[in-house]
Amino acid sequence: MEQAAESEDKQFKWGKKRVTGEEMKDVQFYESFTYGGSEYCLYDCVLIGDATKPDSSELYVGKIINLWEHNDQRENSRRVELLWFFKPSEVSLYVGVQDALANELFLASGTGVGLTNENRLEAICGKCNVLCISKDIRNPQPSDEEIKLADFLFYRTFDVGSRKILEKMDDKIAGVDVEFVFNRHNCEEKVSAVQKVATDVHGTADSLKPNPPSTSGSVRQNECKGSDFSGHRKSDYGYKKEKDNECHKQLAMKKSTVPEERANQDSGRRDGGLYFCIDSGSRRNDCHQKDQDSEAEKHSSKQTSRLAEERCSKDFYRLDDLSRKKRRVDGSVSVSDGREKLRLQEERYCFDDIPQKKRELDGSVAVSDGRPKKSQKIRHDGRKDIEPIRSPRDNVAGGELYSQKPSHTDKKQDLRIPRFSEGKGTKLATEKDYFKKPNSDCKSKLTEGKVLTDANYRRHYRVFEVTQKPDAEENKWYRDLPWEENVRCAEEQGNLVLLRNLDPTYTSKEVEDIVYSDLNEQCTARIIERTSATIPHIGEALVIFKTIDAAKRAIRRLYEGCLLLSNGRILVATNTKVNPPTKPPFQFSGHIKPRAQMRQKRTNAVATSHSSQTNSVGFEMGLDWVLYQDRCELTWKRIFEVNIDHH
Amino acid sequence: MANEEEVKYNAFLEKVKRTVFVDELTPLASKSVLESAFNQFGTVEDVILVPNYLGPKEIPMGVLVVMQTEEKAKAILDTLSQFPFMVAGIPRPVRAKPAKPEMFADRPKEPSRRVLCRWIDPNDPDFENAKKIKRLVQKHTAEAAFVLKNQLDEAEKLATKQSETATAHHKKFEMMYKLFHDGVAEKLANRYNINMRSFPYR
Repeated sequence: MEQAAESEDKQFKWGKKRVTGEEMKDVQFYESFTYGGSEYCLYDCVLIGDATKPDSSELYVGKIINLWEHNDQRENSRRVELLWFFKPSEVSLYVGVQDALANELFLASGTGVGLTNENRLEAICGKCNVLCISKDIRNPQPSDEEIKLADFLFYRTFDVGSRKILEKMDDKIAGVDVEFVFNRHNCEEKVSAVQKVATDVHGTADSLKPNPPSTSGSVRQNECKGSDFSGHRKSDYGYKKEKDNECHKQLAMKKSTVPEERANQDSGRRDGGLYFCIDSGSRRNDCHQKDQDSEAEKHSSKQTSRLAEERCSKDFYRLDDLSRKKRRVDGSVSVSDGREKLRLQEERYCFDDIPQKKRELDGSVAVSDGRPKKSQKIRHDGRKDIEPIRSPRDNVAGGELYSQKPSHTDKKQDLRIPRFSEGKGTKLATEKDYFKKPNSDCKSKLTEGKVLTDANYRRHYRVFEVTQKPDAEENKWYRDLPWEENVRCAEEQGNLVLLRNLDPTYTSKEVEDIVYSDLNEQCTARIIERTSATIPHIGEALVIFKTIDAAKRAIRRLYEGCLLLSNGRILVATNTKVNPPTKPPFQFSGHIKPRAQMRQKRTNAVATSHSSQTNSVGFEMGLDWVLYQDRCELTWKRIFEVNIDHH
Repeated sequence: MANEEEVKYNAFLEKVKRTVFVDELTPLASKSVLESAFNQFGTVEDVILVPNYLGPKEIPMGVLVVMQTEEKAKAILDTLSQFPFMVAGIPRPVRAKPAKPEMFADRPKEPSRRVLCRWIDPNDPDFENAKKIKRLVQKHTAEAAFVLKNQLDEAEKLATKQSETATAHHKKFEMMYKLFHDGVAEKLANRYNINMRSFPYR
């Protein structure tokens, strides 16, 4: 296990550091990293696995918009923030997309849950090529060749707030300048992007901006002022005192976006409840600050926010706190109270690996805080407010529930704690290969299936060509299980499906492509060899879907609808069982047990392979068998002739 | 890229030509047994066991024997079609057929082939036909399973019969052996003035 971790470390290398303030002691931002020979840069599109379903290889697509590492000794210190792309199947729950291309994606946009998420870096499974084919003049138009080579295309966005498909691109999406969303001219842009500083206070939070040195300087000064708070919080606190501002709300929005999300995620992971606690604490703290520093200027607030963002990633808890703070400026509580809370918070921070207890505690704290309604409300309409949801699906699905039950999502995250806190080694060794974004459990499977089905039928009534699915297997981060094991697992879980009536000349890969293009599901397929015991003109393939739901969906869709393949074949899908792997210890019929054989003459012959001598009893018996075989063959031939006539 | 694909595919086709599909094998036969069995005809490059995932487990095992040259593969086919050839057990002989590309699970993609497909509109008149075809596929599969079962039953019967025959033979030989061993046969031969040297089972 350790070995695995080590080897991973060997392969892994951070790229260029991003400019950050000197005081950022425990978070380091990067512009790129290298793993397994390929370099991942900011704004690259990557495939993400779902940690909650390690046995599945359904991958999500996201754009890297932030990379950083915590220098403290926590687990999973390497983090990545991703702007999501949605697959048509993911948005079809909310909007019918009838004209989606087979490999089309929708970029997340607008504001709301599911726009971006923070993930551990190891969740990245590999690169993928996502091309923007928007006709927007800002978008460098791709060549036909490029389009052909692309794994995915997109030209529309899915607004996670209003849940609509939009064709127009805003200037910023999740704080990322739209030019990084479009195709790139060259790599220099990347650099410039990193150095760009936010100009728009109202704009979406931009977590990518580095901290200007001046800001950091002031922070350090302020650190001295900080009294009883630990490192960052201290500095943060002090800093705010000086610079804090009137436009809290704006700031809050800004800050809350990325940092909060991150914070929430992380806290959720480590200690779901901590999040609430921090909240309450920060609220007070916040008020306190406000009292003192309501004079600050917009300018400074801007800086603060930027700083906050950076810090955020440094210290999620604090960050969270920060953002909350800002948001809750209006409802104030006494100063001393705030301090107490802060300290409490610190304690929590230290012990945040004792989740259960703490969570309860935190819960109570949050309640005692007395303003849950307020916070909820704010969260609800706060444009940038992001619940700790990490996957687009979650977001979409959890959307309605979210305002009523803030803890709902937290819980969900808790579910994933074990996965995430598992050591790298463990993951490498035991988890199959992919990390996946969590699937929300709260969505109604039935309705989803229905919508999916309808949307897709409509979309595919016209003839289309099967496109290659993005190569999920290319993922070198995790080892693949051998097919044999896979198939046994799948059989147990019920996501093994038998596809029939394929063209017998299709390859496994082609079957996977067909499933991907027509059913929008990732799968592993293996064709069944055509032998003398199988029907030669009906191709069969075993397909392992990622989830049992996916398998059921596929079977249903193929049952209700008719998928016509190239040469007039209609695909048929059924659940299936496979034969147990162990060789049955039965006596092969037609082979006589050596013991029952004539002692003198035959014993030597049994073990070897030979053509029988014409003068032996065996020869006659052998001829009987040959006759039998010929009979069988004739029968088959006859049947197949009839069958093919039917076809 | 396309070229590479073609090269790969042609190499595969060449390999198919060198390959013989052998079935009616006992599942107890191991790779090494098979290799040594077919090494009599020429160098065996590879033996691929074809797994039986779906059929009844009594189905005899099939293997793909990849020979080094096409001629050797032909030699196997010729010999096995003329004489019953038994591997790892008697008397049921194995059966050899030229291999086909569909027999390989890991075959490469046919170059430049495109797969087209479409969902049929439920309002389309073809939809009913499509449904019929689906049923037909199910029917054929069921039929095939039935035929297969019949064949297996038949094989079982034949095997039982043969094993009875073999047991009878065995008993006969046992008796002969015993008679020769305790000298009864010799005494009888002397008694009836028969020359023991011409006796076939000695």
